[in-house]
Amino acid sequence: MPLDAPIGERVAALNGRYRHHGATAVLGHALKDPDVGRVALVSSFGAESVVLLHMVATLQRDLPVLFIDTEMLFPETLEYQRELSERLHLTNVQVIKATEAEIEKRDPFGLLHKANPDACCDLRKTVPLETALSQYGAWITGRKRYQGGKRVTLDFFEEEDAKRIKINPLAHWTPKDVQEYIAENRLPRHPLVAQGYPSIGCAPCTSRVADGEDPRAGRWRGRDKDECGIHFIGGKPVRGIPAPGEEPHEEMSDEGVEVLTTEYEAEGGEHAAEETSMNVIVTDTGFGPETYNDEPMDLGSDTNPAELPEGWEQAGMIRIAFPSFNDGRGFTLASGLRAKGYKGRLRAAGHVIADQYAMARRSGFDEVEISPELAERQPEAQWLARADWQAHNYQARLRGRRPAA
Amino acid sequence: MYRYDDFDDAFVRTRVAQFRGQVERRIDGSLTEDEFKPLRLMNGLYLQLHAYMLRVAIPYGTLRAEQMRQLGMIAERWDEGYGHFTTRQNIQFNWPKLKDVPDILEALADVEMHAIQTSGNTIRNVTADHFAGAAADEIEDPRPAAELLRQWSTDHPEFQFLPRKFKIAITGSPNDRAVVKAHDIGLRMIRNEAGEPGFEVLVGGGLGRTPMIGKVIRDFLPKEDLLPYCEAIVATYNLLGRRDNKYKARIKITVHENGIDTFRDLVEQKFIETRAAFGGADQELLREIEAAFAPPAFRAVDTAPFEAAREADPVFRAWADTNLAEHKDAGHAIVTISLKKPGATPGDATAEQMRVMADLADKYSYGELRVSHEQNIILPHVAKDDLPALHDALKSVELATANLGLVSDIIACPGMDYCALATARSIPIAQEIAERFEELKLEHEIGELKLKISGCINACGHHHVGHIGILGLDRAGVENYQITLGGDATETAAIGERAGPGFPAEEIVGAIERLVLGYLDVREGPEETFLQAYRRLGPDPFKAALYPDTKDAA
Repeated sequence: MPLDAPIGERVAALNGRYRHHGATAVLGHALKDPDVGRVALVSSFGAESVVLLHMVATLQRDLPVLFIDTEMLFPETLEYQRELSERLHLTNVQVIKATEAEIEKRDPFGLLHKANPDACCDLRKTVPLETALSQYGAWITGRKRYQGGKRVTLDFFEEEDAKRIKINPLAHWTPKDVQEYIAENRLPRHPLVAQGYPSIGCAPCTSRVADGEDPRAGRWRGRDKDECGIHFIGGKPVRGIPAPGEEPHEEMSDEGVEVLTTEYEAEGGEHAAEETSMNVIVTDTGFGPETYNDEPMDLGSDTNPAELPEGWEQAGMIRIAFPSFNDGRGFTLASGLRAKGYKGRLRAAGHVIADQYAMARRSGFDEVEISPELAERQPEAQWLARADWQAHNYQARLRGRRPAA
Repeated sequence: MYRYDDFDDAFVRTRVAQFRGQVERRIDGSLTEDEFKPLRLMNGLYLQLHAYMLRVAIPYGTLRAEQMRQLGMIAERWDEGYGHFTTRQNIQFNWPKLKDVPDILEALADVEMHAIQTSGNTIRNVTADHFAGAAADEIEDPRPAAELLRQWSTDHPEFQFLPRKFKIAITGSPNDRAVVKAHDIGLRMIRNEAGEPGFEVLVGGGLGRTPMIGKVIRDFLPKEDLLPYCEAIVATYNLLGRRDNKYKARIKITVHENGIDTFRDLVEQKFIETRAAFGGADQELLREIEAAFAPPAFRAVDTAPFEAAREADPVFRAWADTNLAEHKDAGHAIVTISLKKPGATPGDATAEQMRVMADLADKYSYGELRVSHEQNIILPHVAKDDLPALHDALKSVELATANLGLVSDIIACPGMDYCALATARSIPIAQEIAERFEELKLEHEIGELKLKISGCINACGHHHVGHIGILGLDRAGVENYQITLGGDATETAAIGERAGPGFPAEEIVGAIERLVLGYLDVREGPEETFLQAYRRLGPDPFKAALYPDTKDAA
């Protein structure tokens, strides 16, 4: 059948031809069958992507693999994408992104996902992918029937709006098939899977899934949304393949916009703006406002203790920066200042987490200064839990200091 | 042996409770995965290829029988019935469920054990000579100092977020069985001219992708300066170590890039500060710990039955000649139980084996066991007249393999079968080599030969310091094994040299066989070990044995 035959006919023929084949066979034939045309694999490098990536790596490792970087992904996903591509020796992974101009125009603050998740998916995922796919006659997806919702009637081959063929080699796989394939082929898993994320999209719109929940329940949780809109009808992105009798609800997204915009207004209102200007000072009694009215002497975490700025002994407050919670230099700097006889106030400022409060106090800090965002995420109680820093302290016992009663 | 006091107990139980809370806060989202990761790692919980892995510390490799029994219980109840003893005196459980981990930690606390700081960029479990407290060649038992270091490094507020992990090893004997020269800090007990015991301090040793032998930073450190001096080293490293590149972050690179003299000057400067901070309380505590480590009262032993059994039973003799070491009490012996039965996974022990070893320790070894970095179990104090009965008991549970220090006593990392970092399999290779030499029946003739296998460049299998080292790599998707020759893990430490091109998996066993048979051809006699022959002759005859086809061309 020539490639210029109507896509619907070709899809029907392909489904008939390969109805009784397994996933690998379907994929293998799809890559060679003249009725298919030029093929790309679209992969999110998510929880189960490794299966198709591995199949492609064994069949044709230079097949174009399109990875959509929405610039909202988990860092674990990006790392996993790099590692996996290298490990599987995929030689043609293409990173697809929205253009900077489009982002600047439609989502300059990176908050569109709060106001209108559909529009965000559209901007960062659907449009860039649609542009990239325009060069292909077919694309491979990892969608499966068991994923439920609108996917329960999925076939190996689908017609996509008279433009392209969609190939779903794993359509009939069960979760057990996926897990067995990964285990048997010793494939590395996405690091977030073990953390309770069986389906992984962008960081702001993916949450953990509890035992017994649908694996995709963590996607766009609390939103009336269960597909990203990579699926098109009539040239416009819609939410998935409409089930028989179901029309794409374009007006629904308009409603959604309104409601969600209101919510966003509330969050970004005057009250929040006030808060963002004030850092939180943490002491043994919990959160408080700034109480130091002078300029503190600021030290970077890369300060050489042999070259302290002049007058440090007399400074009312020395504030040591923690650019990242895993940069532990500040603790040794603080302890060194105390050892050298510094008696003033010593403050740790920046990315210090509640679990480090005891370390900070034991190293000689009096207090910690954190951003309002961090204070919101790690509320006062979590810091107060470590206000007992003088208890269970090996250093006190070894240095002959008595822990306070 | 040291027993937890109320302070230790309260500390460990508080940590378990904190970790329970951290797990809950990770789930409710107040901790990001990025922030949770170092906290989970500080409690020994890794994410591996298939599942979580919990690494439990066995400080200075010492276990009481009841602790070993509890490890067996944990393996059975929460894992798949076995545990893996590692090259750093830890035990790893490969299949715990996240929800069970706080309960496992609680069960460990019940027998005064923990998984604290077995991972993460912090000071790890302090390792020691596995013959400590029993060896005839020992100046002093190093374990009191190791316990002091354990307490000092545990939860040290400055050192939980170092540039990279930090490992300390200590030996009380001038004969180094703890590979101290391949550690971030190595402490080797020696006597000064006045005859007082103290430490030669080495810094910046390590294996991994950039193997280096530790350099001497202090010729002689008095015992009482141990904590402040170590604190000065780690504090200097904390500020100076690189944080821009994970692969250049270990102290070996810091020392290498700054030079040992500059590094020493900075440490000695800092030492003035740290020394002032210790007021003698640590020394008082040390004396209490030393008292706790007083050896058991060794009973008088008639060694005649042992000698008679040795004469009468060749199987017993083969085992006694390889697996016993000299004890400081002439009536006793140090018994090594090999976890390297040919065909088995090096370092693995089943729950049943752990229970049997615990019972044997109670019956024959004053209730004590040791774990060696060579992944074997030691009964440190066995009366010689008990040895035949002990040997019989070990045979009945397949723990009487007589291969200590021989070619099949292989150190191997978990490799690609378990580890996410690995680029090749190591356990199956170890198994095949051990089985091949078992078939050849040449093992005892070959004599002492340390073979070590790592499944990736991170060198957990210590291949750099194996007389023969094997490094498994991934070459374009195919496993490839490189051979290094002439490494040495003792006080005469050396990094092995690469022999030449690597071998695919199906050829590596044959290559090792050619190499070892080649050694038998060139050695001066059975007394000359592989390493001695290599040092005498250089690499050429060994390379010729490895690469026979290229000999003519060369």
